[in-house]
Amino acid sequence: MDKLVDLSVSGLSKVYGRQSEVKALDDFSLAFPAGQCTVLLGPSGCGKTTVLRSIAGLITPDEGRIMIGDTVAFDHARRTEVPPEERRLGMVFQSYALWPHMTVAENIAYPLLSSGLSKAEIAAKATAMLDWVGLGGIGGRYIHELSGGQQQRISLARAMVGKPRAILFDEPLSNLDARLRERMRMELLALRQKVPFTSIYVTHDQLEAMTLGDRVVVMRAGKIEQAGPPEDVYRRPRTRFAAEFVGIQNLLDGTVRGRTGQVVHVDTALGTLNARGWRDDRAAGARCTVAVRATLLTIEAGAKRADGAGHGRVVRSAFQGSSSIILVDVGGTEIVVECLEEGRQEPGATVAVKPAPNAIFALLDD
Amino acid sequence: MWRRSLSWDQLVLGMICVLTVVMVSYPVVSVVLRSISKDDIGSELTLQWLAALFESGRSRDALINTVIYAAGSSALAMVVGVGLAVVAVRTDMPGGRWIGILAVLPMLVPPFILVIGWIAIADPNAGFVNIIASLAMGSKTTLVNVNTMAGIVWITGLFLTPYVYLLVAAGLSNSDPAVEEAARVSGAGRLRLLATIILPLQRPALLAALLLVLIMSAGDFIIPATVGLKSRIYLLPSLIWQNSNSFPPRPGMAAAQGLLLVAFGLVCIYFQRRALSRGGRFTLLGGKGATTIPFRLGRMRYPLAVVAMVFALSSSVIPMLAVSSMAFMKYWAPYAFTPKNFTLDNFSYILFKYPQVWPSARHSLFLAVLGATVCVLLAIALAWYVIRLRGRLSRVVEYALVLPLGIPGIALGLGILGAWIAIPGGLYGTLWILLLAYVTAHIPIAMQFVGSALHGIHADLEDASRVSGHSWLATLRRIDIPLMRPALLGSWLLIYVVILREISLVILLYNPGTIVLSVGLMDVWSNGFYPELAVYSLLLMVLGLLPVALLWKFARFSAA
Ligand SMILES: Nc1ncnc2c1ncn2[C@@H]1O[C@H](COP(=O)(O)OP(=O)(O)O)[C@@H](O)[C@H]1O
Ligand SMILES: [Mg+2]
Repeated sequence: MDKLVDLSVSGLSKVYGRQSEVKALDDFSLAFPAGQCTVLLGPSGCGKTTVLRSIAGLITPDEGRIMIGDTVAFDHARRTEVPPEERRLGMVFQSYALWPHMTVAENIAYPLLSSGLSKAEIAAKATAMLDWVGLGGIGGRYIHELSGGQQQRISLARAMVGKPRAILFDEPLSNLDARLRERMRMELLALRQKVPFTSIYVTHDQLEAMTLGDRVVVMRAGKIEQAGPPEDVYRRPRTRFAAEFVGIQNLLDGTVRGRTGQVVHVDTALGTLNARGWRDDRAAGARCTVAVRATLLTIEAGAKRADGAGHGRVVRSAFQGSSSIILVDVGGTEIVVECLEEGRQEPGATVAVKPAPNAIFALLDD
Repeated sequence: MWRRSLSWDQLVLGMICVLTVVMVSYPVVSVVLRSISKDDIGSELTLQWLAALFESGRSRDALINTVIYAAGSSALAMVVGVGLAVVAVRTDMPGGRWIGILAVLPMLVPPFILVIGWIAIADPNAGFVNIIASLAMGSKTTLVNVNTMAGIVWITGLFLTPYVYLLVAAGLSNSDPAVEEAARVSGAGRLRLLATIILPLQRPALLAALLLVLIMSAGDFIIPATVGLKSRIYLLPSLIWQNSNSFPPRPGMAAAQGLLLVAFGLVCIYFQRRALSRGGRFTLLGGKGATTIPFRLGRMRYPLAVVAMVFALSSSVIPMLAVSSMAFMKYWAPYAFTPKNFTLDNFSYILFKYPQVWPSARHSLFLAVLGATVCVLLAIALAWYVIRLRGRLSRVVEYALVLPLGIPGIALGLGILGAWIAIPGGLYGTLWILLLAYVTAHIPIAMQFVGSALHGIHADLEDASRVSGHSWLATLRRIDIPLMRPALLGSWLLIYVVILREISLVILLYNPGTIVLSVGLMDVWSNGFYPELAVYSLLLMVLGLLPVALLWKFARFSAA
């Protein structure tokens, strides 16, 4: 990579269609620091692709500004718009977007054609790139002769060969089967550690987001819901939406009892839980919501808790290999518990649900 | 709100769109204006021509004849086309593949071959069939007669069969086998399956095919002007021609008759579009690559195969053989099938002595090559604008491009003539007006091929090229055009062949200096010497098939 540059977008808005009410992007601002991987995480339709394609120049936002390094790529107010071919970016598409009428080597060499290099230099670079993604020797084949994983790597090689200023990934792994996805995720991680490059990675898979992101941005309906390091987003989602999106199953209503430093004590159906949020303004007695990850709960058959809370009946349990999911009715609230040890509970059994020792849960803003 | 300022590509393509819309729509306006003007467009308005449509006995007869002719030949084309499609695609009939190939062959064969071939077969005096019948009966017997309404309906019906076949066969081979299996499991027998499931599911394709052949038969010129005139069956297209070329010409009358064809064609095309757009309701995806179980014909297998083969052969191979044998005869008369009557003189006369043949061949090749090329290039520009840029004029372009499909050939020629004849020093009398007519008539075909090919290219493939540093023009050249090549080539070849044999469109537009091969046929026809006519039409066929034979491997001939 030539030189690592920052990217930033500010005030981006986009409405598709003339009269449409839905804003694909709504005053969206975000900085993408040089050399880091920023992950845009959100459900389908929340506007992730729209951000990415705006940065690439493939769609024109209705408002806002896009900076790549210190050049203005798009500025609505100044009516500046650099076409995609002059933005010097790389992009990996969900569909791979490899050209079926070209060989593997021709696909990879394509971004170099307008670089002014000689044919021999271009061929040498393409070959080197092919070796680098571990596919040396297949340069003469056509795309339809390759597996999904190989196509993925070629798509990556093509995105990187021109030494772009940043690489944009649009759900690159979502067309692969589960095992291959796992492997490619690890390979991408290894790649990022080998050569740092600025990247923006769009996904709806929280696992990919947590593994690959230096920073994770949760998006909702064209806006930023939460941004921060993966650990923060995973452990302390700000909102119900973010909590659900990072896979937290239990959202419990509660009342603030008091606080110790940053930790707030909240009375819930599972007893008094320790939680931490992003707001400091909660007085004792305030209503609030605590997000409780199912893996941070344990279950004991027939046991009684000293504080008398968390007792309930098993509604259903499901074995799912490495763990079991148990649904417990605690005073009218259904609690999801995920336990690692194999323990199928009979429906109707009386159990006690306990929070894991020292667990600090997420106190939501809304 | 500020949108991307109009860049030059948008501007240029937008202008091409506007010109195209004008090009395909002014002929309609011109026909309308001409039919209500006393003289040239711009003169005093009158309803006399429209009134004369129904008052003049000749015109009224022609109207009735045209209705019978169009209905009859369309019905025949539907029965044969659907029948061949069902047996070729859905049954275990022996030679089904061959029937499929034979069924579409007439598209490549000039209709003139069909005309002369069927004269050779079914002329009341000298047709093979009647000669054989006379020999068998011992006295002169006329078993079949091509010079009748039934005769021209037969020839036209065969000529139209491939269009029906293509539309219906495509539908039948795309249908989901699960639907039929469900019906079978529910206890439907073979015939009931055909009547209640298979054909009803093809209703949009059937309706589209029917309306297409109705338009084509109503506007066809060749058969009315040859066998039709000879047997004194006047039809609207032949009357339009006479009214334009008689002395004094009656262009207003011709325009009124043309207007009738235009109105009929546009009504047909309206219903056809509606049928096709509602087709979605019937389109059954899924079952991709799955093959339907072929119908077992059982004991009927061989008898049905013979019938299907006879029909398939009648529309191309039999007339071609008849024409070929006729080409080698010194004279064509009863009992002419003898070695003594063999000669190559017809070839040497037509190819080397007949003065008109090479100039008109040059014109034809020039127009066919240039016309097909312009159509394909224009279609690329229009498809890019409509599908990729989704420009403001997209809807207008899409609607306007339907017009030429609905305007029968001779009426389109009339419209173009009406507009340009009034402009002094303009295109009238040059080859360019013929080119304009060909492009106007065939741009929808090119657009269908190119449009569906472009739809088939995932936009990511282009985006990937843009991000890789190539402009949209470079992307079009390096990505889209190579990927669309089979469709581009297919539509080019199809348009080339059609232009070469097209006659209805240009019969009113040519003049002696711009005569083309197909129109020249009319002169040879009026000489009345069939062996020379046979050579001439074979020449037309060979010129048409040459590039197809060279390139068909690289082309794709369907717009789906
Ligand atoms: N070309 C388009 N035309 C109309 N609406 C679109 C188009 N592309 C995206 N949208 C809409 O914009 C919203 C955001 O889309 P997108 O950015 O693709 O979401 P994501 O990538 O997060 O799934 C969605 O509601 C989607 O339906
Ligand atoms: Mg997306």
